[in-house]
Amino acid sequence: MSDGQQKKTFVITRFDPDRDDAPRKQAYEIPVHPDWKVLDALNFIKDEIDATLSHRWSCRMAVCGSCGMMVDGEPRLTCKEALDQYGDTVDVAPLANFPVVRDLVIEADGFMEKLTSVKPWIIRAKELAVEEGPMRQSPGELEEFKQFSMCINCMLCYSACPVVANEPEFIGPAAIALGHRYSLDSRDEGAAERNEVFRGEGTVFSCSFANECSEVCPKHVDPAAAVNQAKLNAAIDWATSLVLSRGGSK
Amino acid sequence: MSRNAHPHAMAPSKPGRTRTAPPQLPDRFPFGGRYLAYTLFDLTGILYLLLGLLVLCAVWSLGSGEASWNAVLERHRNIFYLGFHAIALAGLIFVGIRFFGFFPKAQPPRVGPLKPPPKGAILVGLYALWIGVTVCLSIVLAGGVFQ
Amino acid sequence: MIEVTRHDIVIVGGGAAGLRAAIAACEIDSNASIALVSKVYPMRSHTVSAEGGAAAVARDDDNFEMHGYDTVKGSDFLGDQDVIKYFVEQAPRELTLLEHWGCPWSRNEDGTVATRAFGGMSTKRTWYATDKVGFHMLHALFQHSLRFDNIVRYDEHFATKLLVDGGVVRGVAALDIRSGIVRVVLGRAVIMATGGAGKIFPFTTNGNIKTGDGMALAYRAGVALKDMEFIQYHPTGLPGTGILITEATRGEGGYVINSEGERFLATRDYGVGTKAELGPRDMISRAIIQEIEAGRGISGPYGEYVHLDLRHLGEQKIVARLPMVREISKIYIGVDPVHEPIPIRPVVHYMMGGIDTDITAGTSLPGLYAAGECASASLNGSNRLGSNSLTECLVFGASAGQNAMAFARGSSEGSEQALRREGEEEAARIVALRGKQKGGEKLARIRADLHKAMESGCGVYRSAETMNETARTVAQLKGRYADVALEDSSAVFNTELVAALEMGNMLDVAEAVANSAASRDESRGAHTRRDMPNRDDQNFLYHTLCHFDPAGPRLGKKEVTLGHWEPEERKY
Repeated sequence: MSDGQQKKTFVITRFDPDRDDAPRKQAYEIPVHPDWKVLDALNFIKDEIDATLSHRWSCRMAVCGSCGMMVDGEPRLTCKEALDQYGDTVDVAPLANFPVVRDLVIEADGFMEKLTSVKPWIIRAKELAVEEGPMRQSPGELEEFKQFSMCINCMLCYSACPVVANEPEFIGPAAIALGHRYSLDSRDEGAAERNEVFRGEGTVFSCSFANECSEVCPKHVDPAAAVNQAKLNAAIDWATSLVLSRGGSK
Repeated sequence: MSRNAHPHAMAPSKPGRTRTAPPQLPDRFPFGGRYLAYTLFDLTGILYLLLGLLVLCAVWSLGSGEASWNAVLERHRNIFYLGFHAIALAGLIFVGIRFFGFFPKAQPPRVGPLKPPPKGAILVGLYALWIGVTVCLSIVLAGGVFQ
Repeated sequence: MIEVTRHDIVIVGGGAAGLRAAIAACEIDSNASIALVSKVYPMRSHTVSAEGGAAAVARDDDNFEMHGYDTVKGSDFLGDQDVIKYFVEQAPRELTLLEHWGCPWSRNEDGTVATRAFGGMSTKRTWYATDKVGFHMLHALFQHSLRFDNIVRYDEHFATKLLVDGGVVRGVAALDIRSGIVRVVLGRAVIMATGGAGKIFPFTTNGNIKTGDGMALAYRAGVALKDMEFIQYHPTGLPGTGILITEATRGEGGYVINSEGERFLATRDYGVGTKAELGPRDMISRAIIQEIEAGRGISGPYGEYVHLDLRHLGEQKIVARLPMVREISKIYIGVDPVHEPIPIRPVVHYMMGGIDTDITAGTSLPGLYAAGECASASLNGSNRLGSNSLTECLVFGASAGQNAMAFARGSSEGSEQALRREGEEEAARIVALRGKQKGGEKLARIRADLHKAMESGCGVYRSAETMNETARTVAQLKGRYADVALEDSSAVFNTELVAALEMGNMLDVAEAVANSAASRDESRGAHTRRDMPNRDDQNFLYHTLCHFDPAGPRLGKKEVTLGHWEPEERKY
């Protein structure tokens, strides 16, 4: 580190449940490299200044989804955001709308439950035997759901969503997008089952189309599109089931 | 400093294995940055409520004789009424543009065998419809059809 | 304080191999209790970073014999041929299962699964989902696993010790990172699926979690680590960060060029013949180093590099087939491959070696199985072919799951008292390490010195002198590690404690790598010595075994299974 090097101050939210009643802020002034991402600065602080700082990270190539945090108030993958776009003081906080376990680490188990609830797997009336070989799927059919399969579960969308902030039952953008992804997959036969989930409490119809999830998605999944497409599908499914069940009962 | 979100936002169904700090709202919510547009969008609901009340009043006056109806029309020349209508018009245009912007992507790639038209076509159709309805209504209201 | 839980089998690692093992176990018995212990949420596992594809015979112009021959030749004839035959035969079945489970494989116009060319493969047999294959495979596996409620996940639990009673593995001790409690997770069989150990090197494609934990646990429990000297350098990593640029770039027709704009792999003799850019990774990595040493590299802030040129592929193809390469290049090196060549240099990517396993994924320790990169069934020998490893995770993950279940059925539970005591000892060790103030060493310094030592002794080119020096340094570092001082005494999410435990694992793995390397007096596959440039089948056609000993590692040998393909000179 040479003397003329640029410095930045990182104001980081700290919280140790063993010692702190509530989260507090701690500032670190460090020399920064022009090529650094925000994550590099956090790792520098952890290695060189304060080993008690806790944060999650792994792949540092924006695909594992571990390192989401609020950077200057916006949910970001810290391994993806270049430092040079920020000012001399950078505020780093844990993802909004999540309980905080420690420092920059949030409680992710709630998300895992929501993800499971949408049945994000291929559902078929009759399971295929492996001997039958791969199913056919045209590039066009693949295109119909491909975008929604790009979700890395980084949960940034949950941090941006005003409905998530106020309605704990809301399954939320990423989980709905993944459920919808499977319903759109030509190999899947479980759309009706998932639509039943989507018609329940705190699901697609809770969404008020703020579109914030899509604004902050680092992988351009556009969860808002998925959620609102799922609304239409769930409604159509509900209407047809109404008509069919009436017809059947006569 | 940020404010608390719902205390159970994104909490698991069973309490976590350690004590947690409560979830925080995003700093900019509800009036900062992009949230402003969303909040304004939702706030236009108040305009619809007021407009609805005004329409009800007008309909009520129709049943109370011509003098009452004329009084309503007279009141509409009031500067506050005009101002309110200008705001309502701006709100409606804002909501229309925002809603139309989102509408195409909210169409599933397929409903049964049916595929939606291309996104651009949906957008053009929506605006054409809007402008068409507005023009028709204007002609009717200006007395162009019923003299 | 410890907590004891009981399951039928315990799987450590939630990447492709671990998840596939868990699903295989569920398929056998949907009532069996399967513990899945992972130090990260499974979808964060490093499988997620794999890019280019997974190999399996799919086309009419391909067959098992060809896939097998390519693999054994790629391994420089150190791969076990029975394992290779088993692997190539199971591969299509496994990738088909992934297809049935929703993996969005890229498609041909007729709806069949598309395949692409890959280095060292004689035809297009690499299945792909654009260039995010690991990501899609991992998420498809993880999401498919969510339907089985008999998989009991221990997310963010860091396994630190294998629990052995009566000569049989009975479970693991795992630190619950969230709470700081140590859990004794018991099962009648244990599967290790913890991946590689790229983080013992400074410049690697591997994520922060790749610290060789499973290898170290098995090693300390008395299982040999096999062929640890063979470290694969991927030819195309970004300078500085080491982020992977997939081999699919070359599979799709990309060129590697030097500072003079020359496609040196096609114009000069680097042993890859007419394959040029589609040669195997070890040869291309050596060629790039030689170009740089000959002064035909390009200098940059992070050392010398060469160029990977995709411009002639055109924007359309790059967007359709290699979207992640474009995204990564733009974000991490500021280059749009549509318009500019990508700076690249060889980077540590994969370990051919690992826990010594056989064709059943079993080890010498009864009840212990291993699959994926942490295992060495000797599919890859001394050099792995690109796109064989993702399939390997599935093939051997599945057999580990099946065979562990079979073993568990015939095995007893062991003495809970003894296992509890072992767990308590492990908990005491971890608590003593947490926030340990006494000591004069800093974790970051030890890591930096380990990195320096491994890079100098176990790089692309090696020599007796540098390897021995590295082995000595690693031994010293183990001493310094005993004197490490830590700052964080909190029980909750103590990442410094996790890093310290990982460092212990990395040092053990590094010890095995350096000592195994120093013992192989020949050049074979990824182990290339300047002082011994030739392959020596007479004396070195065997697997290196490295056994743990507190006094220093003991080396042994294991025969290579031949019989189908005769070793021959490896020329393309």
